[in-house]
Amino acid sequence: MEHIELFFKSIFIDNMVFATFLGMCSYLAVSKKVTTAVGLGAAVIFVMAITVPLNWLLDTYLLKDGALAWLGPEYAEYDLSFLSFIMFIATIATMVQLVEIIVEKFSPSLYNSLGIFLPLIAVNCAILGGSLFMQSREIQSLGLAFNYGVSSGIGWFLAILAIASIREKIRYSNVPPALRGLGITFIVTGLMAIGFMSFGGMLTGGDEEEVPAETTVVISVEQQNDIANNTKVIE
Amino acid sequence: MEKRTDKNSYTILFAVIMVFVVGASLAFLATSLKGKIDENKRLEKQQNILYAMGVNDNDEKSVAFISTDNVAKEFSTYITKQVIIQGDNVTEDDEAYLIDLKVESAKSKEASYQRRLPLFIGEKEGAPYYIVPMRGKGLWDAIWGYISLDKNLVVQGVFFDHKGETPGLGANINQRFFMDDFTGEHILNQKENFAGIAVSKSNIDPKNERKTDNAVDAIAGATITGDGIAAMIRKDLRMYMPYLQTLKN
Amino acid sequence: MGLLSKRDTKLITDPLADNNPITIQVLGICSALAITAELEASIVMSIAVLFVLGLGNVVISLMRNIIPSKIRIIVQLIVVATLVIIVDLVLKAFAYQLSKTLSVFVGLIITNCIIMGRFEAFALANGPWKSFLDGIGNSLGYAVILIIVGFFRELLGSGSLLGFPVLGDAIEKTGVYAYGYENNGFMLLAPMALITVGLIIWVQRNKSKALIED
Repeated sequence: MEHIELFFKSIFIDNMVFATFLGMCSYLAVSKKVTTAVGLGAAVIFVMAITVPLNWLLDTYLLKDGALAWLGPEYAEYDLSFLSFIMFIATIATMVQLVEIIVEKFSPSLYNSLGIFLPLIAVNCAILGGSLFMQSREIQSLGLAFNYGVSSGIGWFLAILAIASIREKIRYSNVPPALRGLGITFIVTGLMAIGFMSFGGMLTGGDEEEVPAETTVVISVEQQNDIANNTKVIE
Repeated sequence: MEKRTDKNSYTILFAVIMVFVVGASLAFLATSLKGKIDENKRLEKQQNILYAMGVNDNDEKSVAFISTDNVAKEFSTYITKQVIIQGDNVTEDDEAYLIDLKVESAKSKEASYQRRLPLFIGEKEGAPYYIVPMRGKGLWDAIWGYISLDKNLVVQGVFFDHKGETPGLGANINQRFFMDDFTGEHILNQKENFAGIAVSKSNIDPKNERKTDNAVDAIAGATITGDGIAAMIRKDLRMYMPYLQTLKN
Repeated sequence: MGLLSKRDTKLITDPLADNNPITIQVLGICSALAITAELEASIVMSIAVLFVLGLGNVVISLMRNIIPSKIRIIVQLIVVATLVIIVDLVLKAFAYQLSKTLSVFVGLIITNCIIMGRFEAFALANGPWKSFLDGIGNSLGYAVILIIVGFFRELLGSGSLLGFPVLGDAIEKTGVYAYGYENNGFMLLAPMALITVGLIIWVQRNKSKALIED
């Protein structure tokens, strides 16, 4: 259940592109054609699926306050969290370089069309953002971290696939010349983001024990209004 | 001809040297500055706690703490007692404010661990203040705060801060226009049950005149951070309720 | 222009308009969206980027002949991350209040693709002086867009500029609010930043037709 919730939450509600606006650069620049977009999207899913769990291991067993306790009690004092940025980035950059080498070997056409943006996956903020969110949201287990990586990647993939399809179709529309290309993409993305905001209501409630507390609040507000009205009448 | 920098041996050598240099310089810097940074953080905690009970250098609009030179002295004057609540045990501890809420909350996930809850009891102009530290999650990263209550459990002041909320939106939780709204709010509802304080978008009370509705106005555009604040108050303050309820009676 | 040759001046002025990092090169968008709800935050971010990009470009340019091409991305990222973390640590120790204001931007700077983008595209192939100018020029171009977006979002969204309520008090209904004007809270949300940037692109490309995409 936890897994399913996290999965849908990361794809729709916390969508990397539409909710947190991470990974915009490559999203805007490599979305002219569906085929390239699919390639880049797949690369992002792949990189995130590997780096988020990897960084989770690093964070839990190396960086966190007291994470070195497994080495022995005398190491329990160490807090290496100031290194987390560097470590996360190094992991990501290494993985990206690996992906770059693999893609160059097996699909030169994809490699050419990705151009400067393959190295830029490394600074695709969505990927570092995924690792940092994993850290700050205190994801509990390796399985959940993997789930989070994959689903955030899928969310990004979905976003770039959608915008690429729209951009392919929009060529047949009569867009003002100065707005063609980048301009209309920005605006369409803005509109899509507004649309995605409606997913925010998908998982309402949250912790179950909170429900009674909230209902009492509602009642008390109503009572409050009644009291306020009555006092006005008396006055 | 292959360039010198393309050779594998060179690449590996470069990587090793770089890791060593960067690691060593960062570790050196971090350890040598650790004392100073920790000291800054400690003073900040004292400033925040005092701020929540209304001991600050605020003028009309600003958020100004007691200066770092005076804070230690003022802290010992105003904060008369610090206690740690652990289940039914209440022990006095002058270093309770150094307890790391993040560590406590992580430890308390094991069922056998009884979480330690620090509580600061202050006194200003003869009236007692009970200051509760809280910690929660905003949109991007951690948020935390202190809330001070009188013995009728009416809020006397709050302080919120954040690690990385969106500047201009969620980051405004540490601004006066948001924090001041909490002062005077009740955390109990009409039936005297714990209700917390909701951060509501549909409150329609911009001047915050209704103090007993358990809600304050949200910041436009910062829904998730606002929900985080409300959840933080509901969750962390609730843990103190068994103790705080005894004050009221 | 004794200090700057004509070509050097171009390095600075080009990114301001015709080769703007945000509207033309599509670099550094995430931060442009995230922090432009307030003018002040836009300005702080612009200054931070100016420092990091100017300095980082010089460092990378100095190292360009010894960086192994196979691991250049890692090296670039580590250089910039190290610089930023060092500054962050020093500020935390000696100017704590300032570091609190800036800490939000640390992560945004490290991942800002404008920095990596300029390293890749310019600093790796040019000398330190030129790279410095390129860094300054691009961060100024970045700043221009950030400040325009921040200006409109703060003015229309919260009716203030740099925190100063220029349009009157929305709660007390003074100034323009007395005539029924209301703040558009929607401007504060990130989608509106996208649309604002889109509109800026529209205006810009209308002025210089050469930039129009087919």
